[in-house]
Amino acid sequence: MERAFEILKFFVLNAVFIITAMIFTAYLILTIFSAISLRKYLRKNSYVDYNSIVASPLAPSLSVIAPAFNESETIIDNIRTLLSLYYNNFEVVVVNDGSKDDSLEKMINAYELEKVNYYFDYRLPCKRIRGVYKSQNRSFKKLTVIDKANGGKADALNAGLNVCRNELVVSIDADSIMEPDALLKLVKPFMEAKEKRVIGAGGVIRIANSCEISDGHIQKVNLPKKFLPRAQVMEYTRAFLMGRMAWSELDGLLLISGALGMFDREIVIKAGGYHTNTVGEDMELVVRIRRYMTDNDLDYDVVYIPDPLCWTEVPSTVKVLARQRSRWTRGTLETLITHRKLFFNRKYGKLGMLGYPYWLVFEYLAPIIEFLGILWFIFLVITGDLNWPFFLLLFGFVYFFAVSLSIWSVLFEEMTFHKYERRRDVLRLMGTAFLEPLFYHPLVMLMSIKGNIDKLLNRNKWGKMERKGFGKN
Amino acid sequence: MRLKGTYLGLVLALTLVTMGAMATHGQVAVDSISSDSAMVETGQTVQEPVVVFSDYASRILARFKKSPLLITILYIVILYSILSLITLLIIILIHRSRLKREQKLKDNLLERYQQLLMDYLFDDQKQEAAFNELNTVAHSRINRQILIDQMIDLSVNLKGEIKEVIQALYIRLGLQKDSLEKAYHGKWHENVKGFRELAFMNIRDANDQIIKSLNASNDILRMEAQIAMVRLSDGNPYEFLALLEKPLSLWEQVTLHELQIQHNLKIPAFKQWFHLENISVVMFALEMVAWYKQRGVGKEILGLFEHEDEHVRFTSYKVCGEIGLKMSLPAMIKRYPEETFKNKLEILHTFTKVPDEKHLKFLKNVLDTEEDVQLQIEATKAMENTDEPGISMLIKLIKSKSEYKNYQIIIRHVLDGRIY
Repeated sequence: MERAFEILKFFVLNAVFIITAMIFTAYLILTIFSAISLRKYLRKNSYVDYNSIVASPLAPSLSVIAPAFNESETIIDNIRTLLSLYYNNFEVVVVNDGSKDDSLEKMINAYELEKVNYYFDYRLPCKRIRGVYKSQNRSFKKLTVIDKANGGKADALNAGLNVCRNELVVSIDADSIMEPDALLKLVKPFMEAKEKRVIGAGGVIRIANSCEISDGHIQKVNLPKKFLPRAQVMEYTRAFLMGRMAWSELDGLLLISGALGMFDREIVIKAGGYHTNTVGEDMELVVRIRRYMTDNDLDYDVVYIPDPLCWTEVPSTVKVLARQRSRWTRGTLETLITHRKLFFNRKYGKLGMLGYPYWLVFEYLAPIIEFLGILWFIFLVITGDLNWPFFLLLFGFVYFFAVSLSIWSVLFEEMTFHKYERRRDVLRLMGTAFLEPLFYHPLVMLMSIKGNIDKLLNRNKWGKMERKGFGKN
Repeated sequence: MRLKGTYLGLVLALTLVTMGAMATHGQVAVDSISSDSAMVETGQTVQEPVVVFSDYASRILARFKKSPLLITILYIVILYSILSLITLLIIILIHRSRLKREQKLKDNLLERYQQLLMDYLFDDQKQEAAFNELNTVAHSRINRQILIDQMIDLSVNLKGEIKEVIQALYIRLGLQKDSLEKAYHGKWHENVKGFRELAFMNIRDANDQIIKSLNASNDILRMEAQIAMVRLSDGNPYEFLALLEKPLSLWEQVTLHELQIQHNLKIPAFKQWFHLENISVVMFALEMVAWYKQRGVGKEILGLFEHEDEHVRFTSYKVCGEIGLKMSLPAMIKRYPEETFKNKLEILHTFTKVPDEKHLKFLKNVLDTEEDVQLQIEATKAMENTDEPGISMLIKLIKSKSEYKNYQIIIRHVLDGRIY
């Protein structure tokens, strides 16, 4: 028994060192790559005049698909915002995913909709489409509303894909606020493509809690007053400006947020559309279209744009956050299992050799390792084997490294988009960087563990996202 | 919406695992720390302190030398993190103040330049004084850059003689030297600025450099060179198209097209580029033919129906629809069976735009034989657009009991005027 315990200690000791070294190196490399990528992007885009595509007849046609479920409170304003986006050749397809509230009635009244004899084929799997609505009022000619039986977000997006006909599709959350020029910025990589076909593009999602919003537009950007959303601002800034930017540069991007992403419709359909049996449909789609391109020997690119293009309300209570994070964990696991063939598969290049292993080890397994670490830590405290001075030294080592990474991301934000104008907000954000590892992170880790348990117990619900609604902050 | 990439997770996870796992190793490490401390307390050190350090620093150094490598690394990382934290905090705060200060300076200068430029352009009495003052204020590089930007902004909205006055002032102030320097600079972003300024001010002294950049590997530089060539050309603004070796992206095409509209440039006969090997240029030329309705290109476009690139063929079919080229329809019917799905759809779309009852049989055949709903819908739309004969045929089909059921749904869809 004692021998086995010694072996276990020896194994953990060495394995942990190797992994720690790998992670710290990975973070440093990602930070450097994201800095290079950001600099390149900003320099390149400082010469761009987006106005040239606003009305250009040469610009590709777009369909913005917005699934909506019980969003009666906000749906009218949100559609108005979508219809006012800067772009010439686009349509807005709102999919009422079997809402139990009066969303459909409200839309019919507000936009003078009539049920039309629309013929669609179910080329992508989705629940029964009950009807397609259009307006005779020319002001709303860009709007199409689909009413269908409830089937979840992926199912609703597939219904939208079955009905829309344009070259590019934009999937968004109906309750998010898009920047007016978001489509212009997202479409640009597709228009710049030459040898490689761009099949997907995503942008930065920012947090709208506490921001001043009117007429469906962000008027003033404020840092959330509550700690929980503020910690998420820190988390999002780090993830978007450092993580994804670097992965885009490294061609290993596995995820474009479901809140806003633009895709080549033809490729999405050929790859089979959204997977309806997963709660991580956004990540799954990106991985699948990438696999489709590689399997068919087609050159492609998935692009990421660091511009803040979309604003969303994040959970402000622990209960709602727990549901969201449980869903994210289950979604990640489902995608990783579905596409396990990618793992260290040279055929898939950086996606298989870098992206997938990173996600498996550093994203999915991280909370599990952390949780086991806590159990091990408790065990050692109980047995009196823990070396407290060394514990404090290690804690300081990891804590300060983590905080410095967060502050780097604040610097990136400051040097690039500078969204928080008030000095006080930036100072508070930096303060949050110090508190987040102590109070927010352990919470998120436990929520992720819950996600794994939910998955094991087959509890595969999407989970209700209760929002306060914009303008009610 | 989901978010990934949270770095802190694993870092903290590993800390905890490490904290536990290191118990054994830590014992050794802490023994070492303790013995180190003991040595420091008693003043016993293994090596003599380095002279350049103070006594305290020497003791720290000695302690480091005695520590196991792991402990040393941990201390170094903690120290690095704390130092970088402090540095970053300072940088962020300084950066904010600097941004504010620069913006203020820029606003002041812009206001001043605006007034001086107005005086120079519209007040003969103040012209010389304004010139002298501009010359004085624009002493530094940054001030001159703000002045150049202001003059470009102004010239965008002006035409004719007054624009020429600005260009002359630009030369008189010697600002073209700055622009030329930028055009020949080693960094691409400087070249871009230089090309832009020279093109706005109609200075051709760096044309050799601009032509060289037409095939640069940097997208932005290449595009800016194209724009500059269009602006600086007298006769044919697009003659550089024949020189392009790299593909002309859709983004570049849109930019060139917008430039043409904004500056009301001379429109060439775009068919002259149909024969080029660079297919993106051919497609751009085709799009421009459609936009400017250059109808006398029937024969040349029909030739492109046989092009090996499917995108070129696609654009050719599209353009025939846009310019209403009826003579192309029989050739398209011939091409239809061999075409890709996307091109088939475009051919049918062209039949919708150029309705001709002579081809109803072909369209009915598509409706009967094609399995894909989009193709069926497009064929039905084309039939409907032929007016009376097509609509009668559709009504007959819809009433027919013997016909395949889908017809009715498709025809109802097409005949529903509320669907755009």
